[in-house]
Amino acid sequence: MQLQQLSIVQFKNYIQQRFEFTERITGICGKNGIGKTNLLDAVYYLGFTKSYFTKTDAANTHHGATGFRIEGVFEKEANTHKVVCILRETGKKEFYYNEQAYDKMAQHIGRFPAVFIAPDDVHIITEGSEERRRFMDALFSQLDSHYLQQLMEYNKVLQQKNSYLKLLAERSVSDYSLLDVYDAQLVKTGSSVYEKRNAYLQQLLPLAGTFYQQIAGVDEGLELAYQTSLHQYPMQQLLQQNRDKDIAAQRTTQGIHRDDIGMSFSGEVFKTTASQGQRKSLLFALKLAEFEMLKITKGFAPLLLLDDVFEKLDASRMHNLLQWVCVQNNGQVLITDTHKERLQQHLAALQKPFQLIEL
Amino acid sequence: MQFSSSLLENAVNEFSKLPGIGKKTALRLVLHLLKQDVGRVQMFSDAVTTLRQQIKYCQRCFNIADANTCSICASPLRKQRMICVVENIRDVIAIEATQQYSGTYHVLGGIISPLDGVGPDQLNIEALVHRLQQEQTEELIFALNPNIQGDTTIYYIQKKTQHLPVKVTTIARGIAFGGELEYADEMTLGRSISNRLPVERLVK
Ligand SMILES: Nc1ncnc2c1ncn2[C@@H]1O[C@H](COP(=O)(O)OP(=O)(O)OP(=O)(O)O)[C@@H](O)[C@H]1O
Ligand SMILES: [Mg+2]
Ligand SMILES: [Zn+2]
Repeated sequence: MQLQQLSIVQFKNYIQQRFEFTERITGICGKNGIGKTNLLDAVYYLGFTKSYFTKTDAANTHHGATGFRIEGVFEKEANTHKVVCILRETGKKEFYYNEQAYDKMAQHIGRFPAVFIAPDDVHIITEGSEERRRFMDALFSQLDSHYLQQLMEYNKVLQQKNSYLKLLAERSVSDYSLLDVYDAQLVKTGSSVYEKRNAYLQQLLPLAGTFYQQIAGVDEGLELAYQTSLHQYPMQQLLQQNRDKDIAAQRTTQGIHRDDIGMSFSGEVFKTTASQGQRKSLLFALKLAEFEMLKITKGFAPLLLLDDVFEKLDASRMHNLLQWVCVQNNGQVLITDTHKERLQQHLAALQKPFQLIEL
Repeated sequence: MQFSSSLLENAVNEFSKLPGIGKKTALRLVLHLLKQDVGRVQMFSDAVTTLRQQIKYCQRCFNIADANTCSICASPLRKQRMICVVENIRDVIAIEATQQYSGTYHVLGGIISPLDGVGPDQLNIEALVHRLQQEQTEELIFALNPNIQGDTTIYYIQKKTQHLPVKVTTIARGIAFGGELEYADEMTLGRSISNRLPVERLVK
């Protein structure tokens, strides 16, 4: 799959601009605030019907304008595919695939997949477990729509159960029938999410480990593992044995909503011991593992959008990363940097045809 | 909005308190009433007042009634050993409109949702359990909205009544009649496949 043309109207800082992507590898350079990240975001938007960064379309619309348009021409399996996104003045969003409007955005998502790697994504490594659950849930939902459904159902029941636990404390009720009902509902969806996470993480984590070592160039003793109390006890038993504790705490203390990806480094906690470059390397490793899993499921390589990769990585890690991303990988890559010479130098060293866009 | 008469203003204010009625619509309705004979408007306001003053809730099923027992519970033509559990009175009216149901109802008065402050105690569930014990009920049909809170409510009531010899069913969930498979969402289609029907029941 290759994005060949992109035209952007009133999206973020762009008023009207057209881009042609003639090579598989594109370097994009320009000074701070010129719109490099926004350009990658426009590409992401075409694939996912939403921005990688902003929550509302109002924030994506050029200040002072109403509505925006993003148009892309992709080449996939020797055919050209045209994707048009229009945000109308009324705020209504429309997506067209080869001039045909979709009824639902969900029908489009997944056709032109992309993996975005932004500097701020390092919070996946450094922040709490919620960030890592968000990362895996976003990926697994793309691999299996049933996963998302089960997860959403679990979360809704969990919210109800937790409110009920608070209600119980206020009213000192001693009949726990409704808790039994909520637990049964949590067991049904929670066990299914656990099994899927387990199966997918068994693929994702070894892939990420291999990528990390490849980027680092040496074995640093990194260990990644799926952490969950469901490894010890099935959901049903877990909820049952926590009943008194949960009533006292007024919330469900254990379950798949507390799952995490454990990251350690020769036995030490990665988050707190690793250097900034090592954290960034692990971020790349996880994202490239995501890329690989999407590629296996889809049967073709998603687009890789690398924003500000050159920060924090040393020359050898940078080389190893680019080597994999641009040479071993055969999919399309868009890379941004503020320094034109640095970007040019790194790309030229790969000895593959590339295009440089100066904003 | 500026009014030349406080009588007009009061009436508009009262109308605009109704759900879905804004100030403009309220004004239109009030001006319409002003054009009517005094007698007709009197009938209108009497109907509303007596409704509020004299309405009763059926002591058996909590449906709206003129007496202590509603006309459905009192009817010898209805199967008294069949109970359809609904969330509210609007659901009774919707099911009655189908003319396909000949049993009685039980109006819960809501659905279990602690997030909205509604626990089982706020609903007419005790009374339902009591009915099942007293009335030799043969079948309990749940006609609740097909969502998580609906399921919770069904499982909860089922748990409370499982010691009784009652057949428990729920209304079918699936593809809308006259709809097209292609346009059904995956969840609905998935459920319709796992809860498929024997073909002979389609024609019956
Ligand atoms: N809705 C919008 N309307 C107009 N301008 C916007 C809008 N949203 C963002 N911008 C502008 O876009 C610019 C940021 O663009 P972007 O983040 O793509 O820069 P960048 O080239 O990636 O910079 P850096 O090198 O610092 O990462 C900012 O100047 C910001 O004011
Ligand atoms: Mg940027
Ligand atoms: Zn009645």
